[in-house]
Amino acid sequence: MSQLNDRVFGLVMLVIAVAYYYGATQFPVPFGGSEAVGPETFPKLLAVILAVCSLYMIVKPDADNPWPVSRTFLELAIAIVTLIVYALLLEPLGFILATTLAVGTLCWRMGAKPSRSYLTGLISGVVVYVLFNYGLELPLPLGLLEVS
Amino acid sequence: METLHYLSLGFGVALQPENLMFALIGCFIGTLIGALPGLGPANGVAILIPLAFTLGLQPETALIMLTAVYAGAMYGGRISSILLNIPGDEPAMMTCLDGYPMARKGKAAEALAISAIASFMGSLIATIGLILLAPLLARFALTFGPAEYFALFVLAFATLGGITGKNPMKTLMAAAIGLIIATVGIDLSTGTQRYTFDVLELYEGVDFIIAIVGLFAISELLFFIEEKAGAGRGMIKVNPLKLNWREIGMIFPTTLRSGVLGFIAGVLPGAGASLGSFITYTLEKKIVGKKGYFGEGDPRGVAAPEAGNNGASSGALVPMLTLGVPGSGTTAVLLAMLVSLNITPGPMMFTQNADLVWGVIAALLVGNFMLLLLNIPLVGVFVKILSVPPMYLLPIVTMVAFVGIYSISHSTFDLYFMIAFGVGGYILRKLEIPLVPVILGLLLGPEMEKNLRHAMQISDGDWSILWGSGLSIGLWLVAIIGLLLPVIVGPILRRRMQAAKATTQD
Repeated sequence: MSQLNDRVFGLVMLVIAVAYYYGATQFPVPFGGSEAVGPETFPKLLAVILAVCSLYMIVKPDADNPWPVSRTFLELAIAIVTLIVYALLLEPLGFILATTLAVGTLCWRMGAKPSRSYLTGLISGVVVYVLFNYGLELPLPLGLLEVS
Repeated sequence: METLHYLSLGFGVALQPENLMFALIGCFIGTLIGALPGLGPANGVAILIPLAFTLGLQPETALIMLTAVYAGAMYGGRISSILLNIPGDEPAMMTCLDGYPMARKGKAAEALAISAIASFMGSLIATIGLILLAPLLARFALTFGPAEYFALFVLAFATLGGITGKNPMKTLMAAAIGLIIATVGIDLSTGTQRYTFDVLELYEGVDFIIAIVGLFAISELLFFIEEKAGAGRGMIKVNPLKLNWREIGMIFPTTLRSGVLGFIAGVLPGAGASLGSFITYTLEKKIVGKKGYFGEGDPRGVAAPEAGNNGASSGALVPMLTLGVPGSGTTAVLLAMLVSLNITPGPMMFTQNADLVWGVIAALLVGNFMLLLLNIPLVGVFVKILSVPPMYLLPIVTMVAFVGIYSISHSTFDLYFMIAFGVGGYILRKLEIPLVPVILGLLLGPEMEKNLRHAMQISDGDWSILWGSGLSIGLWLVAIIGLLLPVIVGPILRRRMQAAKATTQD
């Protein structure tokens, strides 16, 4: 049983702890001279705790959970990219179109038929849009569908 | 007497038509959230916070709605336990043991009705407990100084992993990560910029609502995709209900015992609803003894854990409301709501925001009746929604999370941030690093630092003030026990819970 996950993560966190501590030493001295507890005290304390935990993880790692491989990993990547693209297109395309695409793609990748997926996306997008714009009076962007 | 006066004040708030309506909506949504596997109460409440926020609700209305969601989620968890043999949330695990066998014997409707009644009794007992205990605890907490508060926060983190938690070092690490994220932004008392890297969006720090929604909702979506659980599972059909008073009478003593026990488990730090339902189930099995047929569909085996976990979930509100220190993931999310409404949680809340606190408590009582009424006749509706496979449901939930976050600030920057937190949450969960301490760290970080500063100012830089009083020493001791106990008792308890679960799986 491999224990690499915890070791690698512990190492990354250790690096972060050291960088975080260094960052705390670089704060400018606040106006009116330094006090017993300045802005740097609490972060320094936290950096020490984080470092201790990281060391523990490196020395005594738990057994790994398997990471997703090939196909599943690809599916995960597609999902994350879909979310990012959703955020990217929300304003230019407008809420309804972007939602149709994003929810549809997610449903489809999770195993639904493409036609039903994008239909779900369209319906949920329209329902939420109407609910927000007219029911709750919180405007969502209409984007391309806007008729000026 | 004073309590009664405040309680009537609370009912005045809770019975306003608007608040009643939102309580009802909350109960309905909550039951739904609880029932859907993969959409736990913490997750559900988190997604609703930004919505409650953007609706511009009154603080008490918003909190009443979310508390109703919280209470409802505890009711809902049982539906999927009984019908699918998958707990809707973790505390509902014990309900599978007798609920599912009962459903397989063609008594699904009875199991659902009994568990609804048991949930009602558990919540009712615990809410009464809350009414009696909370003011006392709040008054006691007024004697806390900054040093005691600092120790209390440490205690909260130390016990958060719970007695059944696996690796206390990982809990601690999670807490440290949360606290570290909380230090980003402009330091409140000196105005120093900390870790902002001159990015304008970071000046005000990381918005914990974005973090919570990302950590819970987005990482859940990723987990579902990985497990390819999109299609859902076969469900048992619900038969027409045949329940007589004698059967309800039979579970009555069970619900009383379990409700009280659950409440105690909820109040104590580190126990929580999962342990509450486990203890009550085991105890009930012992008390009933050979006369029962536990594990094969005994109604008391359904009633005990349900009364227990509902009791515990109301009990968990006691430390959250009186001390401002939540004991579970969902109460942490509720606390996030309070903080973002600019209400400082803690004992002062009982005097400064009496109408809010008592309004919420009264709403719990009212909501409990609503839930009982909703859950017995409307159970069919919930079952229908439960049969929608996750592959349609989760994308829609994700979309609602997007809308919620977007509508707070109308900035897509927040959305990227949320996605990043989601991916981070996924990685942490893979490494079995719990997410709740991260959130608690984010929430409590500023308060914790403030109290540390005050304590040090009082003592003029002498660190020993942190363990200078009997009370604070006591708190430190409990914290240390809380960290050590899981290492010793945890494996035994976990094995027992596993064993109990394994016996019912065929």
